[in-house]
Amino acid sequence: MGFPVLTFILLCPTLALLVIMATPASRVSFVRWTAAVSSALSLALSVFVWLGYDAAAGGLQFEEIVPWVPSVGITYHMAVDGYGVALLMLNSLVYFAGVLTMWDLSLRVKEYFAFMILLVIGVYGVFMTQDLFFFFFFYEIAVVPMYPLILIWGSTRKEYAAMKLMLFLLAGSALLFPALLAIYHEAGLGTFSLVALAQHEFTREFQIFVYPFAYVGFGVLAGMFPFHGWSPTGHVAAPSAVSMLHAGVLMKLGAFGVLAVCVRLLPDGAVYWAPIFAGFAAAGVVYGAFVALKQTDFKFVIGFSSVSHMGIVLLGINLGVMGIASADAFNGAVFQMFAHGIMTALFFSTVGFIYDRAHSKTIADFGGLGSQMPRAVSIFIVAGLCGAGLPGLASFWPEMLVFLAAMKTVPFIGVCIIAALVVTALYVLRVFEQAFFGPPNPKWNSLRDLEGWEVFPRALLVAVLLFFGFAPRAMLDLIGSSTNLLAAGF
Amino acid sequence: MNPTAITVATTFAPFLAFAVALLFFMKRPVLAKAIVLLGGLVSVVGSLMLLAGGPREPVRFLWFASGDVALRFGFLYDGLSLSFGAVVAVITFCIQVYSIGYMAHDPAKTRFFAMLGLFGWAMLGFVYSVDLLQAFIFWELVGLASFFLIGFWYEKPSAAAAAKKAFIMTRVGDVGLFIGILIILNSVGIFDIPALLDPETGLRAALSPGMLTIVMLLIFVGIMGKSAQFPLHTWLPDAMEGPTPVSALLHSATMVAAGVYLFARLNPLFMASETTLLTVLYISTFTAILSSTVAMVERDIKKVLAYSSISQLGFMLMALAAGGFFAGVFHLITHALFKALLFLCAGSYIHHLETNDMEEIGRRGGRKMRWTTVGLVIGGGALAGIPPLAGFFSKEEIFAALSHRGILIFQAGAFAAAFLTAYYTFRMIFLILLPARTEEPAHAHGHGNDSPLPMLAPIMLLTLAAAGVGFGGGWLARLLDVEREHHAITSMLPAIGIVLAGVALAWWDFGRRAATRTGFITAVKPLHTLFTNKWYVDAFYANVVARLTDMLAGLLQTVENKGFDDSFDGAARGVVETGSFTAKLQSGWVQSYAAVAIAMMSILGIYLGLR
Repeated sequence: MGFPVLTFILLCPTLALLVIMATPASRVSFVRWTAAVSSALSLALSVFVWLGYDAAAGGLQFEEIVPWVPSVGITYHMAVDGYGVALLMLNSLVYFAGVLTMWDLSLRVKEYFAFMILLVIGVYGVFMTQDLFFFFFFYEIAVVPMYPLILIWGSTRKEYAAMKLMLFLLAGSALLFPALLAIYHEAGLGTFSLVALAQHEFTREFQIFVYPFAYVGFGVLAGMFPFHGWSPTGHVAAPSAVSMLHAGVLMKLGAFGVLAVCVRLLPDGAVYWAPIFAGFAAAGVVYGAFVALKQTDFKFVIGFSSVSHMGIVLLGINLGVMGIASADAFNGAVFQMFAHGIMTALFFSTVGFIYDRAHSKTIADFGGLGSQMPRAVSIFIVAGLCGAGLPGLASFWPEMLVFLAAMKTVPFIGVCIIAALVVTALYVLRVFEQAFFGPPNPKWNSLRDLEGWEVFPRALLVAVLLFFGFAPRAMLDLIGSSTNLLAAGF
Repeated sequence: MNPTAITVATTFAPFLAFAVALLFFMKRPVLAKAIVLLGGLVSVVGSLMLLAGGPREPVRFLWFASGDVALRFGFLYDGLSLSFGAVVAVITFCIQVYSIGYMAHDPAKTRFFAMLGLFGWAMLGFVYSVDLLQAFIFWELVGLASFFLIGFWYEKPSAAAAAKKAFIMTRVGDVGLFIGILIILNSVGIFDIPALLDPETGLRAALSPGMLTIVMLLIFVGIMGKSAQFPLHTWLPDAMEGPTPVSALLHSATMVAAGVYLFARLNPLFMASETTLLTVLYISTFTAILSSTVAMVERDIKKVLAYSSISQLGFMLMALAAGGFFAGVFHLITHALFKALLFLCAGSYIHHLETNDMEEIGRRGGRKMRWTTVGLVIGGGALAGIPPLAGFFSKEEIFAALSHRGILIFQAGAFAAAFLTAYYTFRMIFLILLPARTEEPAHAHGHGNDSPLPMLAPIMLLTLAAAGVGFGGGWLARLLDVEREHHAITSMLPAIGIVLAGVALAWWDFGRRAATRTGFITAVKPLHTLFTNKWYVDAFYANVVARLTDMLAGLLQTVENKGFDDSFDGAARGVVETGSFTAKLQSGWVQSYAAVAIAMMSILGIYLGLR
């Protein structure tokens, strides 16, 4: 079996969690360093997986199989394909940058990092497990810590936001859980193994019946229009690193679930429902952009932009299922998950910094901030331009691929979402103009800009966006073989 | 040396300069300036070496592949890219040199020069692109660089607004272009420009005539945005909020030139779609006239020049759409040179006399700035089309192309626009050279009699170019590999006549001693109002388009708050209230339990008894 690297990736945060739990709350610095070291180790191991993954061979690699509860067929089966590697990398980057972003936190540091790391463990687990039971198990682990994280460390109607988020996500799980059990039962294989289930041919009627439950269940977490309401409110209320993980990684769990479970196990159901869900996704793209245009709070703008950008992911998946430009659409969807994850992490990390300094995230309170915080503003501008789909930054490529697939598959949707680019540019530039340009507001003259090491996590994310903007091949080669495998089914 | 290596150096040197300046020289403007100028110089040398080498086969490298899309990255070496690439490099470098003087006192020099580097990279990358998607990427980057440079003085709200407007309006055009490009990819599966142009296997063979027309119209929408054609032209006059060297760059060889260049690049495809050509002719002719009329009544020298750019871009597109490939490209090049010159002269006046108002420049003794004034007159003469300056020859070619096409309305439109061009150009020259004699005497302003050498040297160089480059038509035609017919002097007479008439009218209105200096158009009140309000296009955008967008966004925001949020909140509240209602059954009062029990038992008893 070799070196169980995936288990080690999972162990880093797990051990950190145990250590932090055992540390007295007063030893703040030790807690921080534990989190930082564990995230750096996870990142290093993820890079190792990235480099070690044989993209040409494709398929599942780094496999570890240990029977867990043989009587019902639960297996500890860890393995990653190209998609898994990309998302592991995303999670590690956001986790690492997130820990550094929250370095200055002073309220209940121990508990904060404990919950945050728990969330990260869940996300890692989902991306690497090949067992349906563990999938759901990790999925719930990832979702639940959001509640205390927002409730305790949040701002702006945090009780409401935490409750709303929890209700939506649990409602999603309530749809999901019976659907997953139904899949297990219907197959009658006595195993939760995703690999085995994927080979089972479910009847068409069963697939068509179960698919929407599973899709909507996962879709809620992916910010699927019209069940996106929890996401902007949640983004706004959460502390910055939690928003980073939440928008950057957690929403990807939903989309990943759709790909790894719904589409993989229920292909006929996916084909049947694709036109409808593609319509919802496209509506989300346009709708999110327009609503973002009217927001007065930085984080709400980003929140609705996430609805819009995640719409592109879901649209890509549904277009891929339709089978006319499958490869481009799936590639676009997965690449967009990665690019959007990094981009929103960058957004929230920077907005969080501005908020920590100014204690305001109302756009109208600012103006001319570019002169007072040139570094923070420059970084925000990079993220904004990435959101607007500028070439040279990572988001351009996945958006282009999805547009391409849309023009080929459903030209009407293609035209609508490409035209929405104008609205996207409008809401991004509106923020620039109102908050960063114009005469500086003397009220903020004393604000300190990003300094020294504070630049580092943000610069890292900027570098990642630029790297994949210039070298999209690095991503497309990685996910290409998994895409070909998936696309062959449609 | 290997041409590929030269091209990589030519295009990427400015980018390296940009990156290095921004990353390392934020606090050292002198080094930033030096490295950007060095990058500019490398581009000039490289592009001239490529030009000297003459046309050769394109080179291509695989960039990445996804599904059935394979993106190649490469360089195209034909007469068009070689000649225009050299013009871009030279003008960009001139403007960088000029900026040393113009921006000498600006605190953010590094950012400025870095962005000039970015701009040079984007435009040169665009010009040499062999692949349509590659070209689109650089096209977007040109837009990005313009955004940063127009908004360079971002603390000025007007500059921030102008930058946003430029970005959004060109974005609107880019949506059309992007859709067009994706349709091309979906139908032929390639982006390679030479392959697309191939008459046997290219786009013309792959698409039905109707589809080809749609694609070409979509691409033209992109060109309208970039090259500021009606109705997407209003960003360009606002773009003068940027520092003047930026305007010089934007209006001559970069940004706006990109649209016309793309048309020339895809010329054979446009030629295959008659509907598109007619549409282009109508739009460009209308644009040329509209913008000339606005230039007639503007007082701000940069605005006059901005509207003249729009009108000259209209001329180029008219020529191209009328089948005058050579005429269009020739005018693109001559215009790039003399328009850069005119903006640099305007900048010199503004820098020295601290005013944009033409009357004011005249009054403060603008004509005493000798080299600047020589440049203004030569550049203005070239713009108006006075023989033998550059603009005369290229405009002459345009008239010839339009007469071949033989549709009277476009010929008449071109003549009208040429007449107005001569009129407003000489209005500008007379206002500056012959200020009203009654006003205060010219007072010495600034230091010395003219701008510093870094500003004057580029002006002198471009003055020479604007005067002489018109004679290079034969050479350019050979480079572009097109037949160029000889025009008899008699066929040139109407064009010369119309220009002279325009100059004469300008002299009557502004030049002679007894001139009213208001312009004949003030006599026609409604037209004057229309022109001073820029035909109400801006007002239409502000009051109708912007408002409609805002209303739609507001509507959706209401849907979000009152629709989605409230209904989900309501659902949640419903659950809670159902809970509290049910909870009442668990009140803990024995009396009520007993009452319920008795009631239930009686009902049961009655039921059983009746049975």
